[in-house]
Amino acid sequence: MAAPSFLLLFPLGLLSAVRSASLMGPGSMTSSDPSVQAPHLTGCKSSEQETFRCWWSPGSFQNLTEPGALQIQYWKKNDLTKEWKECPDYSSSVKNECFFNKNNTVIWIKYCVRLHSESQNKTYDTLCFELQDIVHPDPPVALNWTLLNISRSGLNYDIMASWEPPPSADVSVGWLTLVYEVQYRRRNSSHWKVLEHEFGTQQSIYGLQTGEAYEVRVHCAMRAFNNFGEFSDVIFVHVPEIPNKESMFPVTLVLIFGAVGVAILLMLIIFSQQQRLMVILLPPVPAPKIKGIDPALLKKGKLDELNFILSGAGMGALHSYPPDLYQDVPWVEFIELDADEPGEKDNQSSDSQRLLGHNNHHANHGCSHGLGIPDDDSGRASSYDPELPDQDTLMLMAALLSCQPDKVEPCLGNWSHSSTPSLDVLEVPCPRLQAPGLPPEGGERHLVQTQLGGPQSWVNMDFYAQVSDVTPTGGVVLSPGQQVRAPENTPTTEKDKMGKMEGGEEESEEEEERRTNKLKFQLLVVVPETGGYTTESSGWQMGTPDPSSPGEVYHTFPPPSAESKPHQEAYLPATTPLGDYQSPYILPDSPPAQFLPPVSDYTVVQDVDFQHSLLLNPPSPQRSPTCSPQPPSKPLPVMPIGYLTPDLLGNLSP
Amino acid sequence: MNMMQVMQSVVWAVLLWPCLVSLGVPLECKDEQGSIILCASISKEKLLDRVIQHAELIYRVSEESCTLFEEMFVPFSMRSQRNQAGYTCATKAFPIPGSKSEIQQISDKWLLHSVLILVQSWIEPLVYLQTTLDRYDDAPDTLLKKTKWVSEKLLSLEQGVVVLIRKMLDDDMLTTSYYEQGVAPYDLQPEVLESVLRDYTLFSCFKKDAHKMETFLKLLKCRQTDKYSCFLH
Repeated sequence: MAAPSFLLLFPLGLLSAVRSASLMGPGSMTSSDPSVQAPHLTGCKSSEQETFRCWWSPGSFQNLTEPGALQIQYWKKNDLTKEWKECPDYSSSVKNECFFNKNNTVIWIKYCVRLHSESQNKTYDTLCFELQDIVHPDPPVALNWTLLNISRSGLNYDIMASWEPPPSADVSVGWLTLVYEVQYRRRNSSHWKVLEHEFGTQQSIYGLQTGEAYEVRVHCAMRAFNNFGEFSDVIFVHVPEIPNKESMFPVTLVLIFGAVGVAILLMLIIFSQQQRLMVILLPPVPAPKIKGIDPALLKKGKLDELNFILSGAGMGALHSYPPDLYQDVPWVEFIELDADEPGEKDNQSSDSQRLLGHNNHHANHGCSHGLGIPDDDSGRASSYDPELPDQDTLMLMAALLSCQPDKVEPCLGNWSHSSTPSLDVLEVPCPRLQAPGLPPEGGERHLVQTQLGGPQSWVNMDFYAQVSDVTPTGGVVLSPGQQVRAPENTPTTEKDKMGKMEGGEEESEEEEERRTNKLKFQLLVVVPETGGYTTESSGWQMGTPDPSSPGEVYHTFPPPSAESKPHQEAYLPATTPLGDYQSPYILPDSPPAQFLPPVSDYTVVQDVDFQHSLLLNPPSPQRSPTCSPQPPSKPLPVMPIGYLTPDLLGNLSP
Repeated sequence: MNMMQVMQSVVWAVLLWPCLVSLGVPLECKDEQGSIILCASISKEKLLDRVIQHAELIYRVSEESCTLFEEMFVPFSMRSQRNQAGYTCATKAFPIPGSKSEIQQISDKWLLHSVLILVQSWIEPLVYLQTTLDRYDDAPDTLLKKTKWVSEKLLSLEQGVVVLIRKMLDDDMLTTSYYEQGVAPYDLQPEVLESVLRDYTLFSCFKKDAHKMETFLKLLKCRQTDKYSCFLH
């Protein structure tokens, strides 16, 4: 075959022949040797698949530069004669170009073109191809662009570039089917962005930036052939920036001013309604106060001073403290003790009896280590008053949650020794009381304000004393210095004390039982919410108080059982229904000990007898109507701890 | 619910009835091109469009297959076979005019018949190509799939051209495919250079003939739409 012989004889020709049939136009050198170049065919191209041209280069051979030295000869496959024919038309305009017109152009038939020198009878280069493989369409014409849209921000825009197929390509007939490729770039960039091939004559370009200058060009190729033709002329796309920032500016201004106005309005509302808002959002915490005693003294670590004050040296000062100083502040708790019944000291037994449940005059005494009641009992209950319900002078609240019935700790405070017998009467648990926050007045005695009047109102019970233990007789032992020990005792003592209570129920005497019951009723479990009160016991059992009795003011934890029947609290006055308030009361009838977290250590002390012992029994006259247990149909109204309702407060007499 | 569904179907049928008449039938015609009765309602233009679509697709896939095969198996030195006068494609039974002017002067009948001949001549070689490619060790999957696809489409193209001939030329002819015998022998081992070159030649020739079919059909279409401008060139 001729082809292999050509390959063998002309290595350079082979190299040039190996290259693709559709080569570059004139000017492209593919020879491997730059210095010495043999004459070679640079390429053959067709632009419309009807004619084609071939170019050659004479190379650096000197003797072949003159025209006519080299000829292009071609040969068609379907030629009847297998001889090379001369180029039908050497271009006059372009050097070294051979043009094959329509008559000489066939498709689907192999052409072979060779560069031949007749004088030397040497073929320098050969190129074989078929017409459809060398088609490089002309560039599209009439490239133009139209603006599609501009983004709302005015920064980007889209354009639609449109063009027309090259006029030489006979697309309408279907002779050529073209595919177009659009490229664009920024003016200063050197990298063209290539878009996907497009079969139509328009292409949309997205994401151009305003203010930037772009260049767009397009070229085409035959479909399924990758012979792209020349690029069209470059068009410039530029959309100036639209200064529409001013349109946004008023909107932002309006928004800013609106926001500022709303903020100012809110501030005004808040500041004008500050008090109410504060009350709603942050209910005040009752600071522990005892009239006449500096609250600072009630803080931890200052028991000595407090003891001194409360013992007697300070009692006078306390007593002299105007009791109505805080009366206008309902949420201030304070403990007022009137130590002016020394005669009552002798009635310790009666105290115990009282404590067990006769009347509310019983001196409620508990050992409040927080109080540090001095030994001389001077600070003790002048609140002890047979007509305690009328006086409303003394109020003590001792929270009784649970006690160790079998373990009655003597009050470590000063109250203990004198009131121990009466404490024995108490068979109620003796939680620890802590009464911090005595008023700083430094009064010699603290005033125990007990809620009196009618059924005594427990609302005014605001004296917190840590009841360390309860004597078998029902006396409450207040231990001032045993704050630390309280938590340990509490969990263990709870059940025991409950047991003791129940044991107390089994006493023979009904009266005893009543006393104990009443005693139990009287003991309010107080758990302060927050503030200066420390709830040291946990898991004290509490019972829901008599719903009708509004006495209990302090309650922090939910009552242990709604189902437990609160017993009628004799003291609790029905004057102020507390609504849903449920103060934790110890229910002797509720065997399941519900140990609730932070169990208060407080027992509401009803009265302080002349011996300065705390009476936890309601007064007998008022007791009867309220002694009978009542179903918990009506829960106490919800009242924050330490709050004195105005009417209750009115009951207090300074 | 059944009542609703029935109502919906009735409504849809009423709405789509014209569409079904106009468009739905070509689909049926597509599948049943052997049977004339079902396809009687398709218009010539639509059928011609479909046939041209087939031809274009076949051409494109054949070009891709040829390129794939060339890249995979043909040594670099042997590529661009078109530079050499070496390979020849199987000549057809009748000469096909080469120049555009000549082709434009060809009658419709001739165009259609030549397309049909071309299609029919390549049915068997493509089957052969499929089997040959399976024998290649590392023939890419895409190449196999494309070859398979092309041979299938070629059959449907044949059917479409037959129907088109019947419609346009009112020429009843048997839909028999007579195969050319210009196919190379099968006994050569694959992966041998000669067989590779032979297969490469097959691919190239098929690509060329696919281009012929597409061109003829497009010229035919041009004549159908605009008889005057198509002949002016």
